[in-house]
Amino acid sequence: MRISLAGARRFRMRRAKWSLGRLCAACLLPLLFFTPSIRAQEKPSEYDVKAAYLFTFGKFVTWPPAVKERATEPFTICILGQDPFKGALDAIVSQGRIAGLPAATQRLSKLDPDTIARCRVIFISSSEEKQLEQILASLGRAQILTVSDIAGFSRRGGMIEFVLDQDKVRFTVNLAAARSAGLVLSSELLKVALTVREDGRHGE
Amino acid sequence: MSAGNQAVGKRISGVLASLRQWILPLAALTLIFAPPSVAQATGKVHAQSLAGLSLEQLGNVEVTTASKEPEELWQTPAAVYVLTQQDIRRSGATSIPEALRLVPGVEVARIDSGHWAVGIRGFGSTFSKSVLVLIDGRSVYTPLFAGVYWDVQNVLLDDVERIEVIRGPGGTIWGANAVNGVINIITKSATQTHGALVSAGGGSVDQGTGAARYGGTLGRNLNYRFYGLGFTRGPEFHSDQRNFDDWRAGQAGFRTDWTSRGSNDFTAEGDMYRGEVGGGTSVGIYQPPSQMVLEANAEVAGGNVMGNWRHRFGDNSDFRFQGYYDRTSRLTPQLGEKRDTFDLDFLYHLGLGARQDLLLGAGARWSPDAITQTIPTLDIAPHQETDKIYSWFGQDKIALVADKLWLTLGSKFEHNNYTGFEAQPDARLLFTPVPHQAFWIAATRAVRTPSRLDRDLLLTDFLGAPPPTYLRVVGSSDFDSEHLVGTEIGYRGVIGRNFFLDITGFRNSYDDLYGYGTASVFLEPSPAPAHLVFQLPLANALEGDTEGVEVAPNWKVSNWWELRGSYSFLHLVVSDQRGFTDALNTASDNGSSPHHEAGLQSLFDLPRKIELDLTYRYVSALPAQAVRAYQTGDVRLGWKPAPRLELSIVGRNLLQPEHEEFGGDPGPLVGIKRSVYAQITWTEPEQQP
Repeated sequence: MRISLAGARRFRMRRAKWSLGRLCAACLLPLLFFTPSIRAQEKPSEYDVKAAYLFTFGKFVTWPPAVKERATEPFTICILGQDPFKGALDAIVSQGRIAGLPAATQRLSKLDPDTIARCRVIFISSSEEKQLEQILASLGRAQILTVSDIAGFSRRGGMIEFVLDQDKVRFTVNLAAARSAGLVLSSELLKVALTVREDGRHGE
Repeated sequence: MSAGNQAVGKRISGVLASLRQWILPLAALTLIFAPPSVAQATGKVHAQSLAGLSLEQLGNVEVTTASKEPEELWQTPAAVYVLTQQDIRRSGATSIPEALRLVPGVEVARIDSGHWAVGIRGFGSTFSKSVLVLIDGRSVYTPLFAGVYWDVQNVLLDDVERIEVIRGPGGTIWGANAVNGVINIITKSATQTHGALVSAGGGSVDQGTGAARYGGTLGRNLNYRFYGLGFTRGPEFHSDQRNFDDWRAGQAGFRTDWTSRGSNDFTAEGDMYRGEVGGGTSVGIYQPPSQMVLEANAEVAGGNVMGNWRHRFGDNSDFRFQGYYDRTSRLTPQLGEKRDTFDLDFLYHLGLGARQDLLLGAGARWSPDAITQTIPTLDIAPHQETDKIYSWFGQDKIALVADKLWLTLGSKFEHNNYTGFEAQPDARLLFTPVPHQAFWIAATRAVRTPSRLDRDLLLTDFLGAPPPTYLRVVGSSDFDSEHLVGTEIGYRGVIGRNFFLDITGFRNSYDDLYGYGTASVFLEPSPAPAHLVFQLPLANALEGDTEGVEVAPNWKVSNWWELRGSYSFLHLVVSDQRGFTDALNTASDNGSSPHHEAGLQSLFDLPRKIELDLTYRYVSALPAQAVRAYQTGDVRLGWKPAPRLELSIVGRNLLQPEHEEFGGDPGPLVGIKRSVYAQITWTEPEQQP
């Protein structure tokens, strides 16, 4: 009796092993064929809009004279961490000038003083969320516009935080943080901001 | 790719030969059918046309949002599911186990009002073993029976940032007892909880709940919060009217987060609680009537304090140092247990060039307990014992192909006072051909080390008369660790812009599982009257295999409608190991985990700040628990009449007056009732955007 039961159990196991493999393959296969065709979309993605903002912010910020004097350098927008823009930022930057300078992008996997010196704007990717405090601390008062969509970024000492508001991309500003880095944000930019914080955690 | 890396890669793919048969062709197909240029082309067109817009115009462009899956998810070669604060809120759950019902591959069965059986990939029971539960890194898994007392894990749900559920063996990082999975509850940093929150609720089972929290900053960098919560919950449905399972508890705690200007972060947090949890237990006694039912409250109390220091060296390395003290006390009519746990953990992370990421860790835990015997037929002897665990851990993540293919190799080495050294190695391969498409495979060995019960239990129950005959289960000093070798394969990806899919397949092979050894029979003269005893020693009597598939699709149909599904298939076969015959435990293991679980959740964001959330779930039968298959559903209606005020009403288990989910002890199964619950929450944001 026991032997036949064990035999039946083994049989069931073998059958299950097959079905597991087949099930996985069956689930995965159609998906792979679908991937390209669903790509076409009417609306832009949130990162398309964020890329456009990053490009546009440069027109509404005044950098200290020391930065402006380096007129031979391109206006560089840096991305720290994983690039979420899927080429959208490069596409915009490749065709434009900001503040009279040719624009460029640069990807950074870590903060090192030589490379960040070149950044006018730095976008801190959500992949860096865990190290945000350290990143802001090591940026210190560097004359770089800090932008991110990490939740609470402007409260934690960042300058411009993207916020999704009913499927529209808006932003909040921490004015004190910008001020302590010597950046002047135009009233036009502040008017459009969802909120403007006057106090700073890392500032002043 | 260097020759050395190739050799390592070959070795791993040899181990995983059976999985490779189908994953590699599939991965190759993705490369062909989803070239990165397709995704980028549409992005470019949009981006260029957006570049000419003004700030105001940009703010009015409607966008499609990509998946809300956290970025780390794409870098994790494991079956991870993340419940966010939003998910928890919209589930209408009032406790952690209820919130876990949303997670595929997790079996949550409510036994009665205050008790749950929570298993991952099988083996859920009252004493669910082998699932590690952490709250901010503090283990709440009790070494007494190697499970979790869910009735005392009452965090303020509004303060939970997320719950990460890792299905499958996680022993390499998390250590012994993370055999079937890890549930990692992470609370918000005090920087995220400035201001005040007050909430109150009431309903038919959750009769009254209340919570309050206040947080702010002191000086520039010190953030703090304090909270208190309390609740009283009524009994579930008892066909025999023995409504023993009402319960109530209160808890208070704090958290502070301090960031120094340099590269140090400090967190300190602590909680204290007290409660009484109704329960019913049938126990044997040596005098007539030989058996009786104890229905009384378990008196539970406890507290913990914890400190965590994170320090960053340069750009690419950091360390964390964490220590905590946790005290728990539980006095039930049948047993008392007091436990103090001291734990220290150290984790060092070092980036080695662009290609390697090294994690090294060490830990020590010291957990003395004190058992109080209250009835003659249940004891854990000796009454005092100290569990001691020392562990070392190393893991290297190697980028075999930059940004595309990673190999993770690691192992934990742990020394415990029961079985000495245990090694828990693990190898994982992650392939991300294009962003937001990830394939992974893993092979892991994990162990569950013996608990106090496995070694020191003495439990006697009445079998029949005449002559008076008792069944006695005794722990055994040679009870060894349970072992698992698991293989997993998974895919997660964003399809189009609004569909996310996660699929995992696994196969686990268990050895030395808990069961009963060879019985002996003897006459015991004392305590009088003399009686016959059938004695069953606990032993590593069983072995088993589980196989399964978990599918979790998430479809953002439109701006105001999201659909989430989950389906889990589990095939579980436990049988006697050579030399053992244990029909009781094989039947119980084989018949206590659902083969099929399915769920569908629909989240509507309606006009006027109204949220309507519908949840349906199906769980197949548990023959060994005499629980039939059931399907039921929840509805939640939320409304924000003012920015600081939220009202919600939740109907739970609406499809029938009551349904059973798991067997308890004693008497007929407890029915989980249809219930309603309403809550009002007021928040006062302090200087917050």
